[in-house]
Amino acid sequence: MTRTKILLVDDEVEFASALAERLQMRNYDVRTASNGLEAMALFHESPPDVVLLDLRIPGMDGLEILSNIKKFDPSIEVLMLTGHGDRESVQKGMQTGALEYIMKPIDIDELTSKINRAMKKREKI
Amino acid sequence: MRRDDKQEQELRLLQLRFIGKILAGFTHESKNYLAIINESAGLMGDMIQMGKSSEKDLSEYLQIIRSVEDQIRRSNDHFRALNRFAHRMDTELSSYNINESLEELVALLTRFANQRKITLKKNFQEDIPSIYGNPALFQLLVFSFLDKGFSTLDKDSRITLQTAVADRTVQIKIILEGTVVKQESDVPFLPFEMAEKIIDQLQGNIKQEGGGETLLILPLTAS
Repeated sequence: MTRTKILLVDDEVEFASALAERLQMRNYDVRTASNGLEAMALFHESPPDVVLLDLRIPGMDGLEILSNIKKFDPSIEVLMLTGHGDRESVQKGMQTGALEYIMKPIDIDELTSKINRAMKKREKI
Repeated sequence: MRRDDKQEQELRLLQLRFIGKILAGFTHESKNYLAIINESAGLMGDMIQMGKSSEKDLSEYLQIIRSVEDQIRRSNDHFRALNRFAHRMDTELSSYNINESLEELVALLTRFANQRKITLKKNFQEDIPSIYGNPALFQLLVFSFLDKGFSTLDKDSRITLQTAVADRTVQIKIILEGTVVKQESDVPFLPFEMAEKIIDQLQGNIKQEGGGETLLILPLTAS
């Protein structure tokens, strides 16, 4: 069975590394990027099935990355990671095409449930 | 309402907005520390549940534990900065050290700067004596110039805070270096006439030196 490919974009390297390892233990294929440029490079090199995107990464705007992903392939689902309950950014993200958001600190079971939902939606397209 | 009372009310509102911004940044930063600790603990839990106990795994456990300790230490430093910032408002006038009060601001604003890919640099003269005045107002004043930098400069810009003693004064220079991509909005965080009112209360002077430099001059001994 093909493993779900995830691109995790978060500038907190330790957070991303630990989360990536936990997801890999749960049979997901995870790559990480700590900034917008790195994210887009990895994205184009091997498009993922699902993107976990921190809205507030330095440099490139999270919403800009989301918009670029959706333009490239609208079937790729994006889950927004947010640590600060910024309703305005979350709302804009949903309007730009993000599927859902999840607040940090993350509940791993909630996250995998959302990832699986995203995959089911992607498979329907 | 008299002009003085109206200005005083505006100043109090600005102080509240300033405190709000500091608290928002602080909670965001704290959540990040908690998120890292949460994932690290979760990872250890996952590894134990999978029965991972080789020497390599034990070494990874130690690494995770050190990471958690590091995040707790960083979080504690952050709490300490906020605590000191909060206590600046205990009394209106007190003896305070300019470098220390600027260190607190830098600690609490580094995340704002990093998110905008702006470097916040310190260049402090080491042996600056304490001065007497209103440290909370001083921090508000400095913040207003830093906020201008955050709002108007492009990424990869730099903001430097510099302190020095000269001619029986403490001089604080705020230097904004980089491309201006956005003009200061019609309603800046702190209108310049308000900045002048604050510097008056601090018994000092402001000089806009051009080229993105602002100089605040405070007396070593206020009367």
